[in-house]
Amino acid sequence: MAPPVLEFRNIVKRFDTVTAVDAISFSVHRGEIFTLLGPSGCGKTTTLRLVAGLEEPDGGEIILDGMTVAAPRQRTFAPPEKRRLGMVFQSYAIWPHLTVFENVAFPLRVRRESAVVIRERVRQALATVGLAGLSERGATQLSGGQQQRVALARALVYEPAILLLDEPLSNLDAKLREQMRFELRALQKKLSLTILYVTHDQTEAMTLSDRIAMVNNGRLEQIGTPEEIYENPATPFAGQFLGRTIVLEGTFRRSAAEQWVELSGQHRIPVRVNSTDSFVDGALVRLITRPEDIAILPPDRLEPTQIDATVEQVDYLGDRFEYYVRAADTLLILTATKRHRYTIGAKVRLGFDPSRLSLYAH
Amino acid sequence: MNVTATADKHFIARLRVRPIRIAEVLLVAFFALVAGLPLLFLIAGSFNLATPGQSAVYGLANWARAFSDPTTISALWMSFLLSGARLIPAIIIAVLFAWLIARTDMPGGNTIEFFCWLAYFIPDFPLTLAWILLLDPNYGLLNTVALQLPFVHTAPFNPYSFWGIVWVHTSTGGIWFKVILLTPVFRRLGAALEEAARVAGAKTTTVLWRVTVPLLSPMILAVSVLSFIRGLQSFNTELLLGTPAGIYVYSTRIYDYIRREPAAYGEATALGSVFIVALGILLFLYWRFLRGKRRFTVVTGQGYSTARVRLGRWRYVALAACVFYIAVMTLLPLIFLIIGSFMRRYGFFNISAPFTLAHWRGVLSDPIFFLALKNSLLIATITASAGIVLYSITAYVVVSRRAILAPVLEGLCWLPHILPGILLGLGILWLFLATPLRFIFYGTIWGLALALMVSDSPVTTQAFRAGYLQLGADLEEAARVAGASWGYSYRKILLPLLAPIAGAVGLMNFGGALTSISTPVLLYSHQSRPLAILMLEYSVTGELERGAALGLLITAIISVMMLVGRRLGLQLSGQQ
Repeated sequence: MAPPVLEFRNIVKRFDTVTAVDAISFSVHRGEIFTLLGPSGCGKTTTLRLVAGLEEPDGGEIILDGMTVAAPRQRTFAPPEKRRLGMVFQSYAIWPHLTVFENVAFPLRVRRESAVVIRERVRQALATVGLAGLSERGATQLSGGQQQRVALARALVYEPAILLLDEPLSNLDAKLREQMRFELRALQKKLSLTILYVTHDQTEAMTLSDRIAMVNNGRLEQIGTPEEIYENPATPFAGQFLGRTIVLEGTFRRSAAEQWVELSGQHRIPVRVNSTDSFVDGALVRLITRPEDIAILPPDRLEPTQIDATVEQVDYLGDRFEYYVRAADTLLILTATKRHRYTIGAKVRLGFDPSRLSLYAH
Repeated sequence: MNVTATADKHFIARLRVRPIRIAEVLLVAFFALVAGLPLLFLIAGSFNLATPGQSAVYGLANWARAFSDPTTISALWMSFLLSGARLIPAIIIAVLFAWLIARTDMPGGNTIEFFCWLAYFIPDFPLTLAWILLLDPNYGLLNTVALQLPFVHTAPFNPYSFWGIVWVHTSTGGIWFKVILLTPVFRRLGAALEEAARVAGAKTTTVLWRVTVPLLSPMILAVSVLSFIRGLQSFNTELLLGTPAGIYVYSTRIYDYIRREPAAYGEATALGSVFIVALGILLFLYWRFLRGKRRFTVVTGQGYSTARVRLGRWRYVALAACVFYIAVMTLLPLIFLIIGSFMRRYGFFNISAPFTLAHWRGVLSDPIFFLALKNSLLIATITASAGIVLYSITAYVVVSRRAILAPVLEGLCWLPHILPGILLGLGILWLFLATPLRFIFYGTIWGLALALMVSDSPVTTQAFRAGYLQLGADLEEAARVAGASWGYSYRKILLPLLAPIAGAVGLMNFGGALTSISTPVLLYSHQSRPLAILMLEYSVTGELERGAALGLLITAIISVMMLVGRRLGLQLSGQQ
């Protein structure tokens, strides 16, 4: 396997007393979109700025394209301009005193390319992002979406080793965001770009990424494909951040043959735990699943993976119903298609999918 | 490929000492030398009984002598008294101007505001000369006219007096400075507050004095304190009008001490030190006060509205009053200054052939004049352009999150604020005399430019600082990531974006260098004498008409500069 384009080894960054990045390690491979996903203030933007050389780490090692660009222990630090990166800022950072052409040409001018090369590459970059013909426009005369494209063209124009995108879509309106997301993905495939992407929007992360790194409080919670993280979140935080989750509290029980979680009201749900060693009989646990993995069924005899419940409120959302149901002393919010309709007070069964259940220590 | 990688690695390893760290240390060292050291020299010098350049003998004799001399205390007292006395009429007039321009439907408000800006830049020295020509008891035109009246037997006006000084100050920069500071404050006041009072049944004037002014009182008070402090630093008017009448303020007293034969450096520095302490306390209180009030002004700043108070028929009266004030206080004296520069003997209209070009010819054929003009233009150009480079970098370091010494640097940049021109000049004089720096700077235009540049430090640094904060860090960081070195992104990104600020402060510092008298007056030599000093020399040696001609010339240069600046679209307003 080819060496990674970017490697983070145990990077630590402190601001005064706050540890913004706490021993983070990951690597980004050629041609993938690697997303840092987490709530605001979790350290993901700081991580990106560490890659760019806009911040200096306090510990660890950053290796970019086979070269150590930051290693405080060896007193090594390469300033941003020595790193051959492209970056799109959240604010786009389009220089207002320059035209579109000059904005995009800047990285080439810095590298003392000839005028002919500059003209050709800028033209190509602008065509790539769909801005052909706007090159003489003043940068401030552009719409938000156009500014974003200029920023992208500027970052792409000299074929950087890795493209850093800091919440590039967050300042666009919803419709434009969807379109740009699509285009970005297409562009990445076409040019086989390596992208490090930072966002707090789980939809963006899910749809764009090849791999996601969940960041919380400056620590990595999990790295995996969108599907892996969604289906098997390693931590409750990872699960919750990627969409709505249902949490049931209970007691872990085991016998020689089977394992189950006992919920209040004598309900028991069989579970398959791979690393069974981690739980002892009688341990308090949390059972986590997604609302869409719970089926609402008409009352009948309970199967082993089912518990009964009562509908407490029904909201009509047009294309579906949202049910507030009480099961095992917990209020759950579930959605269901319009095929069945249950009224308030109705007795129902909830069916769990054992393969979609995650178990965590309480 | 491999070869470049290793080469790059070496380069990276060497880069551990960050350029910003070097810049930061150099800047702190520079300001400690040119601002901190003069201050220390001033205070230390006040205990030094020997003359500068000789081995120091320390003692309290300077202080004892200075304070046993009743004129020292009275000079300090007079400084405070004069600054206070002229503050009250000035602040009332400035509030009225600002209110009329910003809050009422008076026609031509913007033009009036622009004239206030122009008036602010008219140097005070020629204006004072103009008032002398109008009010002098012997030949002053107004006195001559008044004496024609029956029942008037003695000259009614005398500029060489306490009230004469106060009067002249209500026509010089100080009052326009207040208007310039207050107009934006009035503009930001929400109209709803005034409208509520109108609905409650209050008349326009009642609203002004019962609602608007009290609401803005924190800002008005802040401007008053600032003006008071600036007033304490005044030198030119006091020198021209006070000295003949034996009225000394601390700055003219220091000038007197230094110009004495032999120069009384000890007494001068003792007096200066007392003043620095007093001023330091005042500025500290002012800063504390502003910090406490900031929230209040932010609240009033919300609900911005363009709705104006309707003055009805009075709006034309108001306009006429504003125009009249500007005309009488600035245009009238300037016109008579022009006439005066063409008169054989100023004020004597009935002698044969009263008008002559002799003074202008005299000035313009004087080789000293050309040397002075060259010196002035050189000094002002160096001051303005070096100031832009120095203070834009200083402000960059001050706002930079990476700089460790930022607070120290910012503090050093503020130091010249507590050093009025004459004291800064004195401190820098000590610096030059006591260090090898004298070989380059003592008595040269470089020394004058350095002193003037240091005196520009607080305002210029703050202007650039505000500019950087407004720009944000992204634009520069984007350039760095795109591959530009710091120097490249400074030249291609930061400086062009800060051009409006650089232009405005450059222009103001150029004008300031051209007109400043108190800062260079202790530092110049015959070779480096600037125009403003030549004007002073003409004026105090009885060649008032020549002084007038020079003053007009300087005023003309400044006015043209301001008009060109406005034409270039420089944001002169909002620049504090």
